Amino acid sequence: MAAASTIAIVGASLTGQSAAATLREEGFDGRVVLVGAEPQLPYDRPPLSKNYLRGGMPFEKTLLRPPEFYREREIEMRLATTVVRVDIEKRALQLAGGDRLEFDNVLIATGGRNRRFPIPGLDLPGVYDLRTIADADRIRDAIVRGGRAVVVGMGFIGAEVAASMRQCGLEVTAIEPFKTPLYRALGEDIGRVVEALHRDHGVAMILGDAVAAFEGKGRVERVVTRDGRRIECELAVFGLGIEPVTEVVAGTGVRVDNGIVVDDQCRTNVPGVFAAGDVANHFHPVCGRQMRVEHWQNGVKQGAAAARSMLGRGQPYDEVHWFWSDQYDANIQYAGFHAAWDAVVVRGSLAERKFLAFYMAEGRVESVVAINQGRDLRRTLPIIKARVAVDPARLADPNVDLRTLAPAERPA
Amino acid sequence: MARFVTVAKADSIQPGQIIKVEIDNFPVAVANVDGTFHAFDDTCTHEDCSLADGDLVRTAVVCPCHFAEFDVRTGAVLAPPATVPVRVYPVRVQGNDLQVEF
Repeated sequence: MAAASTIAIVGASLTGQSAAATLREEGFDGRVVLVGAEPQLPYDRPPLSKNYLRGGMPFEKTLLRPPEFYREREIEMRLATTVVRVDIEKRALQLAGGDRLEFDNVLIATGGRNRRFPIPGLDLPGVYDLRTIADADRIRDAIVRGGRAVVVGMGFIGAEVAASMRQCGLEVTAIEPFKTPLYRALGEDIGRVVEALHRDHGVAMILGDAVAAFEGKGRVERVVTRDGRRIECELAVFGLGIEPVTEVVAGTGVRVDNGIVVDDQCRTNVPGVFAAGDVANHFHPVCGRQMRVEHWQNGVKQGAAAARSMLGRGQPYDEVHWFWSDQYDANIQYAGFHAAWDAVVVRGSLAERKFLAFYMAEGRVESVVAINQGRDLRRTLPIIKARVAVDPARLADPNVDLRTLAPAERPA
Repeated sequence: MARFVTVAKADSIQPGQIIKVEIDNFPVAVANVDGTFHAFDDTCTHEDCSLADGDLVRTAVVCPCHFAEFDVRTGAVLAPPATVPVRVYPVRVQGNDLQVEF
């Protein structure tokens, strides 16, 4: 690539800053421009549902890099700037307000936005969702005012918000349409463990029911469910998942299907256009299929992988996907790729909430979830990557060192 | 004033192992890297997890909670989400006494 070339990165969050930093680490001396819709420097989102929401962390601590990091590396920041469209033919970003920014290569790292469903009353004051620091500040203010809270949707964000609000002393009712919290991600057995975790911490759990409406005069006063429950509240937070933000490439010929479709080196079907992070529906060489994930680790690592790919130094991106969720005293971690499983092997104690659960398919470990067993979870990653059959009895035996079960990482 | 404090018997920590000790009620981790001992704050600078509960991979300690990595020799951050280095302490072995300067 010519020294004078410009790389534009659309999205100034975890993935975008990782890509920008990696471009400089790799010695790229052209222009790097990071364009972000939010006014803040790139910040870390995981604390927004946890420590930051509980008031235990100032905003400055959420910054992924100090301001001088970008200055020293001559990474140009265009914040509070919306990209309207990527003009592929003219190789330019069309910015809101009419500005244009020409590029040679572009990385789309726009992430996701919260799903909103046409639920009556969703726009009432006092009904919140959480994605940005501004969202977190609004919920934080409501938490400080106190009262009764309803959490709609017990996926990871809903579960973390429920935990944080309990820790702040609010009365919390959670509504989840599936049989258990985290049911789709973890299945019923482990979902029950998470249900017990929340019940033990005083969350009133309504399972198998869904929100029909938010009601109130000028402000939310209750949540009404499909089964006719009426739950009085001062605030409600819904967490119903995200959808990838792909409008910037709409109509450009860049392939979009559940996100921006890329290969295992973050390349779209259009030369010079790359995507990474939550928005990227990427081909994963370990499991041999396309997938899109919304994980912190993928944001960091795939952003870096995309940067190297843009410089012509790409390698197949084959990280075992991994994420964590902290709820009360439970550090929950998940790694792997399961779409379906035929058995769950448990190592440790579900009742004590200290275990690993391996999701098996055809004798292989497809994925693993752990509570307060991070060291062993990490030792499982090479087993997942190896895609070989593993003896379930040895997986279940806490006296067997998991490092001895992975062919590639057998200790010398 | 800093002084060397005996925290364990040197032969009680195997290569590749990390133990947690307390010095004046302060948690310190000691790792054995191929026979050389390294001491550092046990509490991860990211979110308060015990590094001694993590893995030692060559000269890196991996926090069990969020996989931040630190170089046990220098305390430097090797992998996020941590951004702040962990403090390290001088170590010496007197006979079989493992001592940390604290």
